[in-house]
Amino acid sequence: MSGQLVTFVPIFVFIAILLGFVITNLVLAHTVGPKKHTPVKEMPYESGMDPVGDARQPFDVKFYLVAILFLVFDVELLFLYPWAVSAYVEGQHGKYGEPLSATHLGHDSPGIPYELRGTVFGVMLVFVATLAIAYVYAWRKGVFKWR
Amino acid sequence: MNFSPLLAEGSSDAVENLLHWLCGLVGIPVQVGVPLILILATLGTILGACSYAIWLERKLAAWIQDRVGPNRVGWAGLLQPIADGAKFLLKEDIIPAHVDKFLFVIAPTISVFTTMLALSVVPLGPTTLGEGFSFIIAPKIDIGIVFLFSVTSLAVYGIILGGWSSNNKYSALGGLRSSAQVVSYEIPLGMSVIGIALMAGSLNLETVIDAQAKSGLFGWNIWYQPLAALIFFLAALAESNRLPFDLPECEQELIGGYHTEYSALKFGMFFLGEYTHVFTVSFLCSVLFLGGWHFPYIAELESVGILATVLKIGVLLTKVLAVIVVIMLLRWCLPRFRFDQLMGLCWKAMIPLSLGNMVCVMIVREFELSWFWLPVSSFALFCTAGVLGFKPAPVTARRSRSVEQLIAGHH
Repeated sequence: MSGQLVTFVPIFVFIAILLGFVITNLVLAHTVGPKKHTPVKEMPYESGMDPVGDARQPFDVKFYLVAILFLVFDVELLFLYPWAVSAYVEGQHGKYGEPLSATHLGHDSPGIPYELRGTVFGVMLVFVATLAIAYVYAWRKGVFKWR
Repeated sequence: MNFSPLLAEGSSDAVENLLHWLCGLVGIPVQVGVPLILILATLGTILGACSYAIWLERKLAAWIQDRVGPNRVGWAGLLQPIADGAKFLLKEDIIPAHVDKFLFVIAPTISVFTTMLALSVVPLGPTTLGEGFSFIIAPKIDIGIVFLFSVTSLAVYGIILGGWSSNNKYSALGGLRSSAQVVSYEIPLGMSVIGIALMAGSLNLETVIDAQAKSGLFGWNIWYQPLAALIFFLAALAESNRLPFDLPECEQELIGGYHTEYSALKFGMFFLGEYTHVFTVSFLCSVLFLGGWHFPYIAELESVGILATVLKIGVLLTKVLAVIVVIMLLRWCLPRFRFDQLMGLCWKAMIPLSLGNMVCVMIVREFELSWFWLPVSSFALFCTAGVLGFKPAPVTARRSRSVEQLIAGHH
């Protein structure tokens, strides 16, 4: 296995154990404990009233708008993470007193070269500004207004 | 074979030797064996800690509300969690007739599975970047924070599926609200951490602690990122559905919210998932902002040895416990938000603030300004938001005299 993948072995072990744990719980839930079916017990619990209609009804379109906006911002976050990690790494003497390179993690990730730093900074500013415009547009359109 | 691993040089080495020795005893490869031991220890601890967190929460609630709290089972009710666990197991597990059976069964398992899996990259004790042993299930994962957020955000599927499959109006409403809430608060949660990533140059939680521990008490991120810390804490509260953000399951409106139809062990799994999430959040707050296992004079970067390891674990767990207690106190001291307030807080306040905070960190790093400007800019942003957000109470919100008299007359 390559060096990168080896670090993920514990996660796979954990996934296996968690699956076992969860399945055990489900089996226990279905075997231990009494089982007495009555019609009333199998009705939806709606404060003792007989339920009227189906619970799966159309709902407000606002939730859909929020979901779309979430996608915009979340994808933006995914773009920001790699930048944030690599932007000020290489040779940078940070506040913490020594170069904050990733070399002590066991493999080198050089980060953005010093001479490109200004360009990247400008690009990021444009990126954030674009996002801010989209945000203001959504606000003006009343997406954040809940009755 | 080394039969006295605890006497070896250095604390982390001693622990590592002990674990390797154990692996050799059972005969499994070290790459699998060491995480296996850590996982089992973590799982056991979390299960125990969850039940006792519930006990602690009930005692705190009782103290705040001037009651006695659980005091029947065992001394001071200390055996209550065990009795509760037995009750979860022995009660009847009802699957109502009208539900979507497959999704209904799978929803609580998703909730437990994802919240537990998130713990795999969280430091649970002292960590080292070098050769030594780190108390993390999966150490040296460079995408730590991204992995953590992506896994915890999957927990919302448990809530949505639970609410939808129940075919109950309370559940459906709870699931719907929760999906909008969790999805929205994920953005400030993720964005507030970008400042940390810019400062530490890594998404690995071990590196983040290391960077803080290097410059002592005033290296802790909370001094440079107070606004981010506040936003992160509040967003994390909302993510784990705790009061004052527990709209998905507010008892007075929605009975149990998305888990109205759940009973016995399935309900217990939702509960376990929620408390595990609270633990993860507390660990994250301690690690990202409060210096992790570092504390001046008690647990420093240089200190090695068995005693240092124990102290570091103690310091980290104390910080975590403090955050948990704050979360619990908030639950019993604050009223619940209204849904429009909740969404407004996220979209109109926390997201622009975290974006602004990120730009400030960016500027400070780019022009190599003094880090003194970070808390200043945080404070300035906070005050600006306060001034912009202030508006006098609208006249319609005040009750007119006649309405008050009408209500008074009814009583």
